Amino acid sequence: MQTSRARLFKEYKEVQREKVADPDIQLVCDDTNIFKWTALIKGPSETPYEGGVFQLAFAVPEPYPLQPPQVRFLTKIFHPNVHFKTGEICLDILKNAWSPAWTLQSVCRAIIALMAHPEPDSPLNCDSGNLLRSGDVRGFNSMARMYTRLAAMPKKG
Amino acid sequence: MSKRILCKFFAHGACLKGDNCEFSHDWKDPTNNICTYYQRGVCSYGSRCRYEHVKASRPQPSASSSSGVPRPSPTLASNLLACAPVTDVSPVPSSCSKPAWSLDSLHQDSVDEVDTFVPGTAKPEEQPICSFAAAGDCPRGDECPHIHGDICPTCGKRCLHPFRPEEREEHKKVCEKKHNQLEALKRSQEIECCVCLERVLSKATPAERKFGVLTECDHAFCIGCIRNWRSSSPSTGMDVNSTLRACPICRKLSYFVVPSVIWFSAPEEKKEIIDNYRDKLRSIDCKHFNFGDGNCPFGTSCFYKHTVKPGSYAWKYHMPPPRRPRPRPSGSNLSDVDSLVNMMGNILSEGEYGSIGFEDSDDDELTSTDMMMLLMHMDHAYHDGRLEEVVLRHLDAEDGQTVIAKEIRLSDFLEDMHI
Repeated sequence: MQTSRARLFKEYKEVQREKVADPDIQLVCDDTNIFKWTALIKGPSETPYEGGVFQLAFAVPEPYPLQPPQVRFLTKIFHPNVHFKTGEICLDILKNAWSPAWTLQSVCRAIIALMAHPEPDSPLNCDSGNLLRSGDVRGFNSMARMYTRLAAMPKKG
Repeated sequence: MSKRILCKFFAHGACLKGDNCEFSHDWKDPTNNICTYYQRGVCSYGSRCRYEHVKASRPQPSASSSSGVPRPSPTLASNLLACAPVTDVSPVPSSCSKPAWSLDSLHQDSVDEVDTFVPGTAKPEEQPICSFAAAGDCPRGDECPHIHGDICPTCGKRCLHPFRPEEREEHKKVCEKKHNQLEALKRSQEIECCVCLERVLSKATPAERKFGVLTECDHAFCIGCIRNWRSSSPSTGMDVNSTLRACPICRKLSYFVVPSVIWFSAPEEKKEIIDNYRDKLRSIDCKHFNFGDGNCPFGTSCFYKHTVKPGSYAWKYHMPPPRRPRPRPSGSNLSDVDSLVNMMGNILSEGEYGSIGFEDSDDDELTSTDMMMLLMHMDHAYHDGRLEEVVLRHLDAEDGQTVIAKEIRLSDFLEDMHI
């Protein structure tokens, strides 16, 4: 309990210091609970998610950093490894390949990397995975871009 | 050597050097409680001196010199020298022995006696160097009657005796070692643990201020953090070898963690840390082995000492006793293999020493049923692989002979049994 709190506090200070260094990630800690965090990440360029801003919710377990944080997308996203309804993310480092050297910040970076390089062979969103697996990159790109416009971009006008 | 002489400060209960003291901290060792001033001719404390006033009949132990080179006591040396003004080493009459701080010490007698120690009367290698200069600064400067030592390149103090080469070398060696340790400690202060993100040597309790050194890579952790991670229960799908035992940063697999109060900067230093740790463990008796009465799961590769006590199981039979089956959650492959090994261990040991007669044909049927059960377990666990460990082989059901064989294929075995 005490170790996870101390570690999260360290990460909080680190985030404050590095705010300018990484403009793609904005990590914010809940005002009342240090175990709840939200993050805003920018969709990586040259992907259908470019221009979108996606919100992530972090729930940090008490044994952290011995156990990975639970992360899900709050913003709708069309991606083979993200559950379309719940926002659950299928990423090895959040499950069996977790290591205590990861921080919330580096998890965000890993999620951005996952957005740029989807893994259609272990899909949580089958429709999206099937599009990619059948080689319909154009179809996938247009679907993903459409959802990015709908859900992850500020409404115009 | 000086180590065998009881430390004066320790005897008074006030040695600040602790384990690093060059003198012995063992009450059994003899003291060197001889007043050197008295031996040289005068002790201003006289009868109130807390040291023994003995004549220099036996050679003075070389307590003052760490070089260990036997040199003649000052008295003998001065006797040998023709120009030595002091020829009589008998105790100075008590009327002359005045405390050093007494104003009377300026009295002519005392001055005469002080003059007996004028340098130049003894060989230069027998004279001590000026302790003020050795400590950093001599107020008398060039006018100091004592030899000023050469400057040590490491500590920068005038503490190298110009005429004692062995002492010089030893001082240089010790000084350099101390210096390196200090440097390493300074560097270690800065190092952060990648799990708790804190500086390892700035943790709250002293027990936490230790590094956990992984054998296969050079990433730094607190001993507590890395041990916690390695012993944490694997969550679903987490592989022990690829995740928990791997370095959290580079994922290189290390089989053990070495605690160290200092961080290393060179591979040799790391090797030294690991070797020291293993040497220390090797001197501790293994709890599992229990002096030959227990079964250590690590066998011959155990880090701890395996001492066989006369009369123990291992002493009698030259093999470890059978392992007691531990209650385990059933259903998993692991427990199957483990119980199998246990069972085989039992059968093996009992079979070999005839406590249960496998040769008895009455038991044969029962035994083969047991064997089949065993095999089914085994097949399930090993998928008909080649077994490296010793395995029981029931060669022929007719004579009921039990043979111990190595490396047999399970399918061959099954064919032999005509199942």
